[in-house]
Amino acid sequence: MRRPRVQALVLTLALSVLAIVWLLPIVWVFVTSLKLTADIVRLPPEWVPWPVTAEHYQEVLFSSSRTARIGRAFANSLVIALGTVAIVVVTSAMAAYPLARLRFPGRDVVFTLLVGSLMIPNAVVLVPQYVLVQRLGWLSTYQGLIVPEAAMTFAFGVFLLRQFFLTMPGELEDAALIDGASPWQTFTRIVLPLSQPVLAALAIFAFRSAWNDFLWPLIAVNRPEMFPLPVALALLRSAYSSESYGPIMAGAALSALPLLVVFIVANQRIVEGVRVSGLKG
Amino acid sequence: MTRGRRRQTGTAYLFLAPGLLLFAAFRVYPLLEGLRLSFTNARLGRASYQFLGLANYTRLADDTRFHVSLWNTAFYTVASTLPILAVPLVLALALNRGALRTVLRGVFFFPFTLSVVTVGLAWLWLLDPVVGPFNYYLRALGVPARSWLADPATAMWAIIATTVWWVTGYYLVIYLAGLQDIPRELYEAAALDGAGGWRTFRSITLPLLRPVLLFVVVTHVIGSFQIFGQVFVLTSGGPGDATRTVVQHLYETAFQNFFQFGAASAMAWVLFAIIMVFSILQFRLLRGHTEY
Repeated sequence: MRRPRVQALVLTLALSVLAIVWLLPIVWVFVTSLKLTADIVRLPPEWVPWPVTAEHYQEVLFSSSRTARIGRAFANSLVIALGTVAIVVVTSAMAAYPLARLRFPGRDVVFTLLVGSLMIPNAVVLVPQYVLVQRLGWLSTYQGLIVPEAAMTFAFGVFLLRQFFLTMPGELEDAALIDGASPWQTFTRIVLPLSQPVLAALAIFAFRSAWNDFLWPLIAVNRPEMFPLPVALALLRSAYSSESYGPIMAGAALSALPLLVVFIVANQRIVEGVRVSGLKG
Repeated sequence: MTRGRRRQTGTAYLFLAPGLLLFAAFRVYPLLEGLRLSFTNARLGRASYQFLGLANYTRLADDTRFHVSLWNTAFYTVASTLPILAVPLVLALALNRGALRTVLRGVFFFPFTLSVVTVGLAWLWLLDPVVGPFNYYLRALGVPARSWLADPATAMWAIIATTVWWVTGYYLVIYLAGLQDIPRELYEAAALDGAGGWRTFRSITLPLLRPVLLFVVVTHVIGSFQIFGQVFVLTSGGPGDATRTVVQHLYETAFQNFFQFGAASAMAWVLFAIIMVFSILQFRLLRGHTEY
């Protein structure tokens, strides 16, 4: 064997070990969530949860106690994340299409404004956004979480989709327009079906940020039954004594689950979305 | 022709309308409204308020807790920049050509799909001073156990480590994309000229990666100045005020203790100004010459 081969093998091996170590914190969350309460704090740390128990999941999902409403919070987060995805994908796609494909006055101004807004720190609009949502009567409602969340991701969505639309060959659209199709028909029947991969990437991106957002729902929701997962989890932690890692880790594991599934199914798609997001640099 | 042009303009704005409406109402308006509020004594639950001129801003100059949180935030930002730049870069360089690239990239990326609260809870448990595995293994290696999060000397570093673990995968993907864009021929030419690994890295990879580095630094700095979730879960700003950050101070001023929307808005705009200055500086410093 030649030396470079050996080197490559050693490198791959070292990286694999590092990758396993890298996953340990989240593995530890899952392992803990499946252990009997008495086993959780036992030293040395046991990395195989045996005997296995589902009691912590049962407790956080179905217990009637006021704090452990993880089941409800999970459902809330799903509604919020899916609602955000729907709004972001529709509005961004509609806005990105003319910005990429049509010529009209104000196009560059609009696009520059949208891209410039990506630099606005979310923390800066926190207080006035609260005032606005309060005035609309939207505190502790789904729309009070969905709409601001969608507005936060909209500009990025436009950027991502415009980038993609620009690279699409125009012949099909031209043919459709010549055949008398309206711009709307061209958009929905030709452009959107051809854009499925990038639309999926945007959907996952929007889902991730809505599913994980913490600061805005912490402020905009004050009824416990409306908490999304991150807020419910943070409060779950202060509700239990620090030794009760079982239920807390069960909650944390549940919150990791949907994106873990999406991630395993669509690894490549997510990476593609992130990659394009970096191109603006 | 002009009629067609006009029709196209109408069509374009019809397509844009829903998004722009959302954008105007929930991005542009709050931004400007926040600036206006920062000159008032607006409070939560109070309908009327007066204009105070610059009073909120001058008061910030005397607010020692604000200064502490600003200092902590700046410290966090500066101290985390090098690891955030270097760790994913080293990983990207190692992963770039190797086998198992896709799988390993996926593994390192995975923590980035987690919410900050989940990440915080995982590390809270990992770093538990008594029964946490991290301290156990350190003790096994002969290093005395510590309360990493309760010790002012280490709390911020624990938060930085947590954040590096969380976001490395994101920057790794960005770096890998940047490395893919560097023309192969340059490396072949360098190899023919007998340039070694380090030499190649310094004179080809690093200069051509400059736009990517700029993106990573600017993104990281904008994010870092707004750090909140990690601190909220891991330390609540403690011990004492050792890890108190600007957004946490803002959050407490507006929504926890005083409900002072005017003062909190002034903080937000000071933060905004700092972030802008840093971003512009970085553009100036790193834009440089990227042509080759």
